[in-house]
Amino acid sequence: MTVEGVTVTVHPAGGLWGSEVPAALAALRERHPGCEAAVIGPAGERLVPFASVVNNRGRSLGRGGLGAVMGSKRLKAVVVLPDGPRRPPVADPERLDFVVYEATKLLKANPVTSTALPEFGTAVLVNVLNQAGALPTRNHRETQFEGAARISGEALKRGYVSRRAACRGCPIGCARRTRAGDESGEGPEYETVWAFGAECGVDDLEAILHANYACNRAGLDTITMGVTIACAMELAGEGLLPGGPRFGDAAAVVALTRATAAGEGLGELLQEGSARLAARLGRPELSMSVKGLELPAYDPRGMKAQGLGYATSNRGGCHLRANMVGPEILGIPKMVDRFATLGKAGLLINLQDLNAVLDSLSVCKFTAFAMKEDYFARLLGAVWGEPVEPQELLLSGERIWNLERLFNLTAGFRRGDDTLPPRLLREPPPSGPSAGQTVDLDPMLDEYYVSRGWDAGGRPTPGKLARLGLAGLPAGHPALAAALGGEAAPAAGNGVAKGGAR
Amino acid sequence: MSAGGGTGGPDSAILEQFRRVGRDLFLAGAVSSHGGNLSVRLGDRIAITRRGAMLAHLEPRDVVVTGLEENDANVLLASTEVNVHRAVYRATAAQAIVHAHPPYTIARSLVCDEIVPVDSEGSYLLHKVPVVHAELTAGSAEVAALLERWLREYDVVVLRGHGPFAIGHLLEEAYQLVSVLEATCRILHLADALRAAGHEVREYRKGSDRYTEW
Repeated sequence: MTVEGVTVTVHPAGGLWGSEVPAALAALRERHPGCEAAVIGPAGERLVPFASVVNNRGRSLGRGGLGAVMGSKRLKAVVVLPDGPRRPPVADPERLDFVVYEATKLLKANPVTSTALPEFGTAVLVNVLNQAGALPTRNHRETQFEGAARISGEALKRGYVSRRAACRGCPIGCARRTRAGDESGEGPEYETVWAFGAECGVDDLEAILHANYACNRAGLDTITMGVTIACAMELAGEGLLPGGPRFGDAAAVVALTRATAAGEGLGELLQEGSARLAARLGRPELSMSVKGLELPAYDPRGMKAQGLGYATSNRGGCHLRANMVGPEILGIPKMVDRFATLGKAGLLINLQDLNAVLDSLSVCKFTAFAMKEDYFARLLGAVWGEPVEPQELLLSGERIWNLERLFNLTAGFRRGDDTLPPRLLREPPPSGPSAGQTVDLDPMLDEYYVSRGWDAGGRPTPGKLARLGLAGLPAGHPALAAALGGEAAPAAGNGVAKGGAR
Repeated sequence: MSAGGGTGGPDSAILEQFRRVGRDLFLAGAVSSHGGNLSVRLGDRIAITRRGAMLAHLEPRDVVVTGLEENDANVLLASTEVNVHRAVYRATAAQAIVHAHPPYTIARSLVCDEIVPVDSEGSYLLHKVPVVHAELTAGSAEVAALLERWLREYDVVVLRGHGPFAIGHLLEEAYQLVSVLEATCRILHLADALRAAGHEVREYRKGSDRYTEW
């Protein structure tokens, strides 16, 4: 599919179909010089549920299987031609320059965005999370990994980074280009290092890089791939997967990733993800996933509100909807007690709502390590040429979050789905700073629902829907009305609400 | 009534936050013996300091939990400003509010309609702080209406002659704004004195002439 101005044209994929991501991107860039492109690889074509979409700058839409959605449409690539859509007009460019200058000052003054991410990339978190006892290890059986230093951001920088990279216009520059043996490419990011590393008990960074490159070529989500292999390792250890991999087997991690990319051998089983794999072998509780999406690299037993974030994330186990690593580990905006069960729901909700807005604005979440919501409101206000209140921005995020929740409710999700793998609720880590900790989720959920203005079943109340300007939705969607308890909420009075909503 | 009473909330954790901030505010001279008030939001309830509580010496009985939308018996004990806090919570995503009476901030509010820092820390964190005024400065509907409007756009606002109201996701965040603002106002006062004594106060910040537009 090409996009040129407002013209969208669908073309036969021809020889592109079946090609790996780098080859497809190279062919498209040769065919359309100067274009920007996003493609799926063979995994997306085969509808692997955790297939990703990769753009020509090497960045991936990794989570949730969007690559399989494109594959199901038999859509190989979206290509925006050079004389395609232009930047939206900026109503007040002088003010935009002013706010950008002030925002850049903050990014340059903050050690996370000015030093740690530029120097080490996201993998800088390996040692930090390990020291905190929040680095999930061996399918979340432990929360500290004895090999962390060997797979850390520091080790990556020392041995494998060929150059830094940045998204267009970004002053942070967290991306890495790496080389390992005769392979090179984008990444790995922190989550990838962890998923193929600590989660699999592997401390061989070069093997992790090769597994990462295999995912990049095939178009696979590295988090789900690594966590699924870790699940297979535990299942094999339990004798349920004869001939399966064992924790610490670096060669197996690379081989299984490549086998999954090709859909061959044990890869045929792994390509369904850990939830289906564990269920098929009779041990569903060994899948470290929420709502079927594998968890990322922060163990909730060492970061309790992160667990609440996973449980309530609308797309399942995900750190991108709200990452409590800021307040629970890094002290951003302020340090909170990471082991405390209650008192953090409001903070999590603010992050969820802000991130929903940042996703809609296509703004990198890392900027929020340094900038508060008022900066984003002022940036948007300069583009629009009219003031945007920070609270209005957060309200938009809250509306997005609730709309997603309503979608999930209609799809049959209920309070019982807002949960974590049983291991995190009942099995304390054996050692380290988080030893003895489990997640007491129910009271956290109660506090969260009340703070969201939802009922005890996790359903937005009519009053909440009215304040969000969504009161009319149930009446037009019988399945939603039924999910909300069979009662349609009162009709909206004045369309989209403005002002505070919680 | 104690913090978290009837909410299942973390009594001791909330009280500890209140104690730390309350004590610091008093020791910094930002409140008099019985002045100022603090609150945090707990879902559909708020925990707020008791009317007449001594912020430097908060005990469990000094933090009252009451409804955000509705009154209950605890409103008898709550801070005079409880309705102002409620209005702000309803209008914003704030999770915490700090109100204090720091003298340099109050003095500055008597002579200007907005406070624009000249120091580096204040410039980074504040850029500009609006000063608003009301005839009835304590706990009135007029103050509530003013603050719910202005705190939608700014995280700290000064009520002329009365003091700053600051919001945050955490109590510590709101406290920081009050603290930085007072430091900013002290520096403004000193800079004014130096200027009056004939010294040139030099600008070192690019674009600071636009801070009034923040």
